[in-house]
Amino acid sequence: MRQIRFIEAINEALVEEMTRDETVFMLGEALRGGTFGTTSGLVEKFGKERVLDTSISENAIAGAPVGAAIAGYRPIADLMFSDFFLIAADEICNKAAKWRFCHGGKPKLPIVYMASTGGYIRSDAEHSQSVEALIMHTPGLKLVIPTTPYDAKGLLKTAIRDDNPVVYLYHKLLMAKKGEVPQDEYTIPFGVADVKREGSDVTVVAVGYMVNMSLDVANQLQKRGVSVEVIDVRTLEPLDIETIIASVKKTKRAVIVDEDTLRCGVGAEIGMQIIENAFDHLDAPVQRIGAANFPIPAAAALEPYIFPQPKGIVAAIQAVLGRDLGGPIEMEGASDTLRQEVKQMILEKKVKD
Amino acid sequence: MKLKREQKLKLYTNLVRVRKLDEMMVKALLAGKLSSHWTSQKGQEAVGVGASSFLRKHDYVFYCHRGHGITTLIPKGLSPGVYIAEHFGKGTGGACGMKYYSHFDMELGIPGLSGTLGGDFVLAAGIGIAAKKRGKGQVVVCMQGDGTYGRGTFHEAALMAANWKLPVIWGVENNQYMIYTPTSEIYPKENIADLAFGYGMPGIVVDGQDVIAVCEAFQAAVDRARAGEGPSLIECKTYRIEPHVYAMGDLKGWKPRPQEEIDVWRKRDPINLFRERLLKEGILKKADVDRIDRDVAKEMEEAERFADESPPPDPEILKQALYSD
Repeated sequence: MRQIRFIEAINEALVEEMTRDETVFMLGEALRGGTFGTTSGLVEKFGKERVLDTSISENAIAGAPVGAAIAGYRPIADLMFSDFFLIAADEICNKAAKWRFCHGGKPKLPIVYMASTGGYIRSDAEHSQSVEALIMHTPGLKLVIPTTPYDAKGLLKTAIRDDNPVVYLYHKLLMAKKGEVPQDEYTIPFGVADVKREGSDVTVVAVGYMVNMSLDVANQLQKRGVSVEVIDVRTLEPLDIETIIASVKKTKRAVIVDEDTLRCGVGAEIGMQIIENAFDHLDAPVQRIGAANFPIPAAAALEPYIFPQPKGIVAAIQAVLGRDLGGPIEMEGASDTLRQEVKQMILEKKVKD
Repeated sequence: MKLKREQKLKLYTNLVRVRKLDEMMVKALLAGKLSSHWTSQKGQEAVGVGASSFLRKHDYVFYCHRGHGITTLIPKGLSPGVYIAEHFGKGTGGACGMKYYSHFDMELGIPGLSGTLGGDFVLAAGIGIAAKKRGKGQVVVCMQGDGTYGRGTFHEAALMAANWKLPVIWGVENNQYMIYTPTSEIYPKENIADLAFGYGMPGIVVDGQDVIAVCEAFQAAVDRARAGEGPSLIECKTYRIEPHVYAMGDLKGWKPRPQEEIDVWRKRDPINLFRERLLKEGILKKADVDRIDRDVAKEMEEAERFADESPPPDPEILKQALYSD
């Protein structure tokens, strides 16, 4: 099967859905040029009226879609960085999330809020955050975080067709990643987790880029005779807790890995749901991994003190297994390779342009 | 636009309907029937009534928080019964009892209201985008209070509407008070309408006690918007007679509001002014005035009865309202 980049998969979904439905349009900053390449070529295909370049105005970028959606259109707002959701929190968390409910379930709000997310990019705290805990905490917003090009395309098509506000986040380190994507039309339903790797000793529930890191760890641990099951939640709202619980009942151990701040994070929520639903099946306390409770510093030397690292995942797995895995495990810095790929892709794009 | 006799009668009747409903809401508050507070719009009726009485059915209106849209939505076609029922926490309310001060009915061009003041500006711009795309000549009238124009959202929405020539009319209902703070203290210039200059749109100031002046200003801006010429900003100078929230403290800054200031504006009551004018022009006769009063009283009594007799929301709504299937 053909292989395309994560960014190209997003672009294909946008092209297909804008072709399929004339009420779909996009707005955001520098969309026609496309800061990350997700919107490359759209203005040539669909014209300026459907690919709207705005001023720097996050409240309008996030709020105008609420009005346009109520009035019968299907807007896609590109906030560029998920950090900027905080600028537009009133529009996203107070308007989009609540408008239908607070008006008696009468309006429909088919809106997609998309943005790059996450860190490991050696940038500052206001361009490296994860916002999944904030969004998941807010009733009325669906939340999608794909980790492969295949999922990126199929989940975005579903998001655009959904009649509710959907937050769609793509990790910066995954943008250049290639993967199999069929030519034929497909969509992926929300609320169906993907068991990326079957295992019998421990269940690792991971979100976003942490899925990739957890898979690397699982492959290394296989050599030490540990069988790790890795689950990609794919959507946090709706959350496929059934698949997670079934896995934990099988392995009797659970580790949750998420990149957002640990305190009050997604790991706390999923971990508690595991305890509520499968306590009697657990052989060890649930472990969770997340970012340390600090804003994110830019310097590479400080990154390991803030963001989850492979060795931290190994340590959590050792803790739930209750045994030492025999000496330190050498892990290549997976993020280094991915960071290089993204830089290379951006460079190639500049050369092409 | 030259208003015809029937149009003037419609304006007058709407003014009386809105005043009667406002008075009824005060009584309902004192009787303990309202779920929450009441912010009377008494004395400011000409602004909303003038702005919205002659909009088309599929034009859209947002409204300022004061009066919870009473002066804008009733002329736009919202049934007073539905309006009252929402305030009584009933399932037949305009938001099924879920939002208290807001209503949703897109058949009447009523998209609802933001709970945070100034949240509506960017939504109005978004509906403007939809209206422009649809190309059927629909307009959006976004009425907001003077204090609300302090929000940054106005800048973002005004810029968007001006750049893309969206069919939006920004209405400022300047009642001269932002809670207790005199509006003159929160803007560097006398007229908020001067903000329009930077966006290259008309900025117009009208006497908000003169329903004809308000109506004509809005109709001109509506015509301009329908013709694809973009947004306008209209500031209507009026005055808040009642306290910020009914039965709460009434201050100017941190001291009691001077009674003589209120008395000056009571003499410029928009309904009295318009009634005298219509009587003088011979459009109204004393008998008409009495008949309109009687008809409106009956309408509002029936509306209140509808709200009284309506059931509360069925808890089943909680399951259906969060997401659309």
